[in-house]
Amino acid sequence: MEVTRPALVFDRVGYAYEEAPREAVSDISLTIAEGEWVGVTGPTNAGKSTLCLLAMGLAPHFFGGRLKGGVTVLGKDSRQVSVIERSAEVGLLFQNPFTQVSGARERVDDEVAFGPECHGVARPEVEARVAEAMERVGIAHLAARHPMDLSGGQLQRLALAGLLAMRPAVLLLDEPTSQLDPAGAAAIFDVLAGLHQRGTTILMVEHRLERLCELCPRVVAMAAGRVIADGPPDEVFNREAVQERVGIPVFTRLARDGALPRPWPVRVGDAATAFAKSIA
Amino acid sequence: MAGGLSLYAEGTSLLHRAHPLTKGVLTLSAIALAFIAPSLWWVVGILVVLLALVTAAGVLRRFFAVALAILLPITLLLLAVQGFANPLNRTVVFALGPIVYYREGLAFAALAALRIACLVSATFLFSFTTRPADIAEALMQRGLSPRMGYVVQSALQIIPQTLEMAGRIQDAQRARGLETQGSLPRRARAYLPLMLPLVLSSLVATQERAMALEVRGFGLKVKRIARYEFFDSTLQRALRWALALAVPGAIVARVAGWR
Repeated sequence: MEVTRPALVFDRVGYAYEEAPREAVSDISLTIAEGEWVGVTGPTNAGKSTLCLLAMGLAPHFFGGRLKGGVTVLGKDSRQVSVIERSAEVGLLFQNPFTQVSGARERVDDEVAFGPECHGVARPEVEARVAEAMERVGIAHLAARHPMDLSGGQLQRLALAGLLAMRPAVLLLDEPTSQLDPAGAAAIFDVLAGLHQRGTTILMVEHRLERLCELCPRVVAMAAGRVIADGPPDEVFNREAVQERVGIPVFTRLARDGALPRPWPVRVGDAATAFAKSIA
Repeated sequence: MAGGLSLYAEGTSLLHRAHPLTKGVLTLSAIALAFIAPSLWWVVGILVVLLALVTAAGVLRRFFAVALAILLPITLLLLAVQGFANPLNRTVVFALGPIVYYREGLAFAALAALRIACLVSATFLFSFTTRPADIAEALMQRGLSPRMGYVVQSALQIIPQTLEMAGRIQDAQRARGLETQGSLPRRARAYLPLMLPLVLSSLVATQERAMALEVRGFGLKVKRIARYEFFDSTLQRALRWALALAVPGAIVARVAGWR
């Protein structure tokens, strides 16, 4: 069996923002292996975004606050590595695409080059990375446009291209498709599937449970700052605690309401098979 | 969405491709020389050179569209005010009853208008052929710190973005019944509910952008390598030096009696 080293380790992590009376996340223990694609879901204020900020090091380096336990990313303790240093290996895509662009570049391709330039990547290499990243997210035809002339969906793809150009080993995505239409979201998920196949570790916060179940081999369900379930999506969404506090994928609800036997399917293909069996 | 405060016109002319510093030195020198030169014909010469460059850059039509809107009213006003009311007026050009137009005022107005035309032409020539971000980039490649370069680059873009955000907030408030039209006091009152969300959302956006910049490695202590180097040459360097030295040279010449 192939042994992979952990990319992300949260060891009994608790974190409270500066002057916040309560911890945003408490007692989080998770180990994510290199090359894994883990989906994180949960209701509002579950601590999902904080998990991403902790992995990136923005919490506590940017926000201050109180960190308990240890966050280790690619073998390096978060307390010892600044966000800027970590950016060489880890990328974080935020929800709001408008504030993710540098705000200093006047062309889309120049915007994609911003990160590699900051990292002192050699000029021919920057060119190659820019071209590849734009091609991969489908914005090569927008290269000469001004970033602020793009739509929300195009801007989100530009932000992703800017991260991909830095070739991160770990990609953290905080609701990357929340501002996208279904076609735009599908395009982003296709890109992520390609990255996953190439070995990139992905931690993705996502509310679209059906997508999460289709794409992520492992799902972490959070509520009130704690992990309430962690495992394959079939297992996680068949737990009553998850169904009550996080939600239930539409195919699972159909199976439950259709009185199919447990475990209920979480993916469309499995649901179709289960219904076909029940009819037969 | 709003772009930047850029007047840049896409093009491949020699001026488009020239080093931003060359274009910057050319612009500043042309303006300075136009104001230092003592006689009308020197200023006409500078203006002709600038218009030739505007033509060579392929932005003549665009140039006239914006420059005339600025220059025409200024020139007409100068000609009228100076021709009729310059204190040095002595020689009559024409008289219509009590209204007398003088040669000294006309000459003064023509020189002033031509100097302003040089200023406007040089500025637009630069703006049409140079992206604002390239100016800061060129300076960064000459040793300006990336942080300062970023401040310059982002400052040029933040104004239209803020205006757009203000427009969105105002639209939302109008949709909820806020009166933004009408008398001056009413319009002034409408600005108060605009300011708070605008300031708050600007602060939030600034924080998010600061995070996004760190995530992309901005401020990393390695030598930043720009994506491209601007086209420079011995000829351009010589031109820059010549233009830069021409300005103090012209000042010395004026002090020494250049008429």
